[in-house]
Amino acid sequence: MPELAAIESFLYREASYLDRPDLDSWIELYTEDAYYWIPATENQVDPINHVSHIYDDRVMMEIRRRNFVHPRAASKDSQTRCSHLIGNVQIKGPSSEGGLIVESTQHVVVWYQNEQRVYAFTAQHELRPENGSFKIKSKRVNLINPDAAQRSLIIYL
Amino acid sequence: MQKIPDRNFDALVKPTKLHRSLYTDPDIFELEMSRIWGQAWIYIGHESQVPNAGDYFTTNINHAVPVVMIRDKDDSVRVLHNRCGHKGAKVVDKQSGNVRGALRCAYHGWSYRFDGSLLKIPNEHGYQDTGFDASEPCYSMQPLAQVSSYRGFVFATLSDTIPDLVTWMGGAITCFDNLCDRAPEGEVEVAGGVLRYEHDCNWKFILENLNDTMHPMVVHESVVKAAESYIATLPPEAAKQRREAEIIPPFGASYENFENTGITGFDYGHHYDGGKTSIHADYSVDPDYHEAMVAAYGETRTREIYAFNTHNVLYYPSLTIKCAVQNIRVIRPISVDRFVVESWSFRLKGAPDSMLQRTVLYSRLINSAMGMVGPDDLEVYRRTQKGLHSPVNDWVEFHRQYGKDRILPDRIEGGGTSDLDMRTQYRAWKAYMEQSYQRGVDYA
Repeated sequence: MPELAAIESFLYREASYLDRPDLDSWIELYTEDAYYWIPATENQVDPINHVSHIYDDRVMMEIRRRNFVHPRAASKDSQTRCSHLIGNVQIKGPSSEGGLIVESTQHVVVWYQNEQRVYAFTAQHELRPENGSFKIKSKRVNLINPDAAQRSLIIYL
Repeated sequence: MQKIPDRNFDALVKPTKLHRSLYTDPDIFELEMSRIWGQAWIYIGHESQVPNAGDYFTTNINHAVPVVMIRDKDDSVRVLHNRCGHKGAKVVDKQSGNVRGALRCAYHGWSYRFDGSLLKIPNEHGYQDTGFDASEPCYSMQPLAQVSSYRGFVFATLSDTIPDLVTWMGGAITCFDNLCDRAPEGEVEVAGGVLRYEHDCNWKFILENLNDTMHPMVVHESVVKAAESYIATLPPEAAKQRREAEIIPPFGASYENFENTGITGFDYGHHYDGGKTSIHADYSVDPDYHEAMVAAYGETRTREIYAFNTHNVLYYPSLTIKCAVQNIRVIRPISVDRFVVESWSFRLKGAPDSMLQRTVLYSRLINSAMGMVGPDDLEVYRRTQKGLHSPVNDWVEFHRQYGKDRILPDRIEGGGTSDLDMRTQYRAWKAYMEQSYQRGVDYA
């Protein structure tokens, strides 16, 4: 089992890419078969038959990464920066594919359109050990208010 | 409530332009809430959200007035004012759920039957010989002035004089038929959850955007380009399996394509774009779905149902539906510069799961506040809301193809890139505001 400190340091690295934000470096933390999911309701089991705020595979992540810097995406004109605070990191156990499931509590302040917006959630990462570090097989963001009316969010949390 | 003096609406709504105060003036907003939202049929919910007796769903019928839709023991669906007959507390606070036996106020325990009638007041003898008459409607949870449903879609109105729902929908009713006829069993039901999102701008911007076909190729250029260029790098077999490749690129369709879809307008402000074709027309047809449709309707009727392909249908002012995608969006204003949208998906009864899955995918890709399409729409509304505070020009123009609309007995038809939708909406806006549709009760 990897050291908790190594896992925490990996989560901090992911957060630092999102804080800037640097999606080109961020996406390299993910496996080719990765998923990024923000469910739209509590305890949502199904991303296919039930709507989500985001459910991106690697292809959609690649499209989003390109769209994020496209000069004609009006919603991206506003400067965006984030501040992730990560705590309560716990190793929940092995994943079915030889990786491990990690849970953390995250508070993210997003600076967007001259305003600070707060997102609070439990993040569930499925990590695969690779070359002495990890890759993310899946990340699930369980917002504390998934069914609230959401405002535009143009960056991954 | 404060009584707002009548205004000269001729001075605010001209044939080809609108005064900017329609989007920025809180007094006009209040008047809209009483005269448009207080008179029109407002979409409340779908019967399938309350399948069993005691099942309920709560919402507001405008920016403030709370209502509850509830299934009665006789299987009818009621829409009641969500207000206790005693002190006025909102009786049902949760968004949805089930009550057993009776509705009960959390304050003094007054209870009500599912039809809203008063069932019991605790310690009732204190009312003896006080002149209190429990049978007076004001002590019940009163039903809305009119409640009606069409193919499971429940509407209610605060007005007792607006014509019945079917008359009010006029020719736009065919779109509800098309949505439901796309189910092999001829019925739809709510499924796949709901997305809620909030816009910091006037509620009318989203309605104006629905059939505004001059914006997609501009506002959504970035996501179309990003999607097309990346999907082009995938192996052809992998690219073909991407349903996103059918959904996103049509938002970048040409002016000519959109012109050919046409726009059709009706009385009371309803309209749709498409009909013969739309940006949803080239979706592939699941063979299992097609088989179920042909078994239910036969080949000819099935083709007819597919052939009526609209993009966005507006039932002014509260509901927009996508027949070909089985997704609807419900609008609720909050204040002059804020409103909320709910995006609901529907299952076509008798269709394979792949149909609901496409609906859910569509809602996530296009409507989600965390998607790559919706936030760009919102961004341009937000900028419009800001820009209209400039006093340099009091007017918002909508001249496109003015004078070229084809006026038929029950509808108006025009080019897909025309401003026919604006003319349709603001004819209704003015009629509601002037109370020329009816001279009923002013709810304010």
